[in-house]
Amino acid sequence: MENRPLEYDYTVAKMFMLTTVLLGFVGMLIGVILAFELAFPSINTVLGEGLAEYTNFSRLRPLHTDAVIFGFTLSGIFATWYYVGQRVLKVSMAESGFLMFIGKLHFWLYLVGVVAVVVSLFMGITTSKEYAEFEWPIDIAIVVVWVLFGISMFGLIGMRREKSLYISVWYYIATFLGIAMLYLFNNMEVPTMLAASPAGETGFGAWYHSVSMYAGTNDALVQWWYGHNAVAFGFTVPIVAMIYYFLPKESGQAIYSYKLSLLSFWGLMFVYLWAGGHHLLYSTVPDWMQTMGSIFSVVLILPSWGSAINMLLTMKGEWQQVAASPLIKFMVLGSTFYMFSTLEGPIQAIKSVNAIAHFTDWIVGHVHDGVLGWVGFMIMAALYHMAPRVFKREIYSKKLMASQFWMQTLGVVLYFTSMWIAGITQGMMWRAHDEFGNLAYSFIDTVTVLHPYYTIRGVGGLLYLIGFVMFAYNIYKTMTAGRKVEESELQNASPMGA
Amino acid sequence: MDIAQLQAYGYFALTVFLTLALYGYIYHLYSKKKDSDGHDYEEYSNMALHDDISDTPVNAISDDKEK
Amino acid sequence: MFHWLEKNPFFFAVGVFVVIAFAGLIEIVPNFAQASRPVIGTAPYSTLELAGRHVYIKNSCNACHSQLIRPFKSETDRYGHYSLSGEYAYDRPFLWGSKRTGPDLHRVGNYRTTDWHENHMKDPAAVVPGSIMPAYKWMFTNKADINTAYAEQLTVAQYFSVPYNKPVPMKDGSTKTVKMGASVAEANALALEQAKEIAADMKDQDVKDAVAAGEIPEIVALIAYMNSLK
Repeated sequence: MENRPLEYDYTVAKMFMLTTVLLGFVGMLIGVILAFELAFPSINTVLGEGLAEYTNFSRLRPLHTDAVIFGFTLSGIFATWYYVGQRVLKVSMAESGFLMFIGKLHFWLYLVGVVAVVVSLFMGITTSKEYAEFEWPIDIAIVVVWVLFGISMFGLIGMRREKSLYISVWYYIATFLGIAMLYLFNNMEVPTMLAASPAGETGFGAWYHSVSMYAGTNDALVQWWYGHNAVAFGFTVPIVAMIYYFLPKESGQAIYSYKLSLLSFWGLMFVYLWAGGHHLLYSTVPDWMQTMGSIFSVVLILPSWGSAINMLLTMKGEWQQVAASPLIKFMVLGSTFYMFSTLEGPIQAIKSVNAIAHFTDWIVGHVHDGVLGWVGFMIMAALYHMAPRVFKREIYSKKLMASQFWMQTLGVVLYFTSMWIAGITQGMMWRAHDEFGNLAYSFIDTVTVLHPYYTIRGVGGLLYLIGFVMFAYNIYKTMTAGRKVEESELQNASPMGA
Repeated sequence: MDIAQLQAYGYFALTVFLTLALYGYIYHLYSKKKDSDGHDYEEYSNMALHDDISDTPVNAISDDKEK
Repeated sequence: MFHWLEKNPFFFAVGVFVVIAFAGLIEIVPNFAQASRPVIGTAPYSTLELAGRHVYIKNSCNACHSQLIRPFKSETDRYGHYSLSGEYAYDRPFLWGSKRTGPDLHRVGNYRTTDWHENHMKDPAAVVPGSIMPAYKWMFTNKADINTAYAEQLTVAQYFSVPYNKPVPMKDGSTKTVKMGASVAEANALALEQAKEIAADMKDQDVKDAVAAGEIPEIVALIAYMNSLK
């Protein structure tokens, strides 16, 4: 080895940045197509009748959710871990050939997994469980990828120079453990390839097919314990990890109260897991679980707002930075959306509200103000902050970033407002009775009325997608054409070109 | 004692325990303000702010870290 | 004590795990013993119905249609009796869905017929003006996977004691026996037998010809499944 000063090694972080951008685009593009398919059904056959099987709404819908969750968000989590992890532990991946190898293996296996998922979902190979659609061979691959992530994480922690773990690392550890537990239990299944007929035949039927270990109501219970907490440990916990690092770093302000961040962490860990029952209100699961789901969902406001308020107060006295930097705008609006959707969620979990909201577009709206406004904004902000440090160049264009911010904000607002109206309209129409006590509307009446809102939603989604393309372009130009910068310019606020 | 009863007692006992632990933690954080190594908790924010590899750790893993 | 946890990653991880696993332990595990008994009148799926259920899952019908009738007057007026836990005893996976872009289907077998489904799957908007459901024309040519359905029947009979070839009680006091083949050939023959009954009520000549030639298009299996939802 030459006698060079030790530097952080971002090789693996860069790889995952690439998939974040790529899969984010794919997931959002499919989302926009789906939105317009609902508004204009003829788009279902946009590539002709022959390919209709692969372009229609129902085949694409799992691809959209999985590309955004396991493509965009998970890549973002990995990319930021391989960046933040080294820095707050003060140890470089260059110091360990083994961890470097594991990191790269982690990336390539992840990529193989992504390809397998895309192909299988297009073919219609799915278990039907939301965000757990993959059949057992892919499940096994995902477990391997996850174990590699764990080795990477705990390996790095094991050789750290900083004794105490920064709050972001807490959240990354929780992400790792939470997803591991949830994924394993929800995907318990028996492969049907093991079946033998009484006549002695074996090995017939699709080799990849499996049957869930749980039936009916139990299956639903496990699935929504998973489904809700996949949101917790995919869309909340790791994103909080990101903001606790990137906002203080970019603004140069210490976290408003580090103690509050520690408290909120334990609160969130304990409360979140109970709230899954709110997906099953008025279903056939026992009443006490439904009530428990409702109550804990409301309690969940406290730890969620603990983190969000902590972030906003970090900017106390520094609000001119919000005006000056589009990067900080992304993060501040992100935490505002986080507060907003963690208030909206508990409201929807109240039984009487849920009676109207469940099964409607209001739920879809809720998911999207969280994911577009909070997760999307935060991951893009994280990548914007990382780009100058990883590529040693300044961010290509501040103006482009600012216009992207406003365009996407408008997109999110159009999205959730239209879905509110659509959801509540449909929920009210389903239950409307006339003066004789008969149903006032047939089902199709409650569908056709939604057309304008579906169109507005499509436009909102399209604006967000265009913003994302601007983001991808900006990152690409930063990588190739940004002005080279010195280490000294990278202390806090990211350098940006006009 | 059937499983539902065990479930209820288990739920109650663990909830009480975790609540006590959480409030104990809050009391500890805000009365002592420092951890047992004598670091003010708020100092830990510096782990993010001073995170260059050449920066001094807030709480170094050992004194002979620089070889 | 607390600080010790904050700088020991292993015990920290154990602590986090205990806290997050707690809810699952209390909420989910104990319920497993009791919740899965079938109500009277619930029979396991036949081979063809199960193949149809696979078609339903393959095309993510559950992305837009629920199978869960909530106990509200507006829902029981529209869809029939509210859903009972025991009715799902043989549903692996459950197909409750989370979004009703289209109507609930838990009891669709009570009020829709084979030829209604046939016309509707070919061109939904022709049957329900204003419908935004896409057409599913490929189901009329793709072949249903009977072998996989049979493998699944054998698996659930072996591991979860699903009562195939055994009498199960029905609401009117009679019993019903759902047959499962003893070999792949017999399973296919049983499925074809039921497929012929469905095809007799259909109009599409290609489908009728295929069934007569011993092949089962996906649409036939799907309709068998739909008709079984009561």
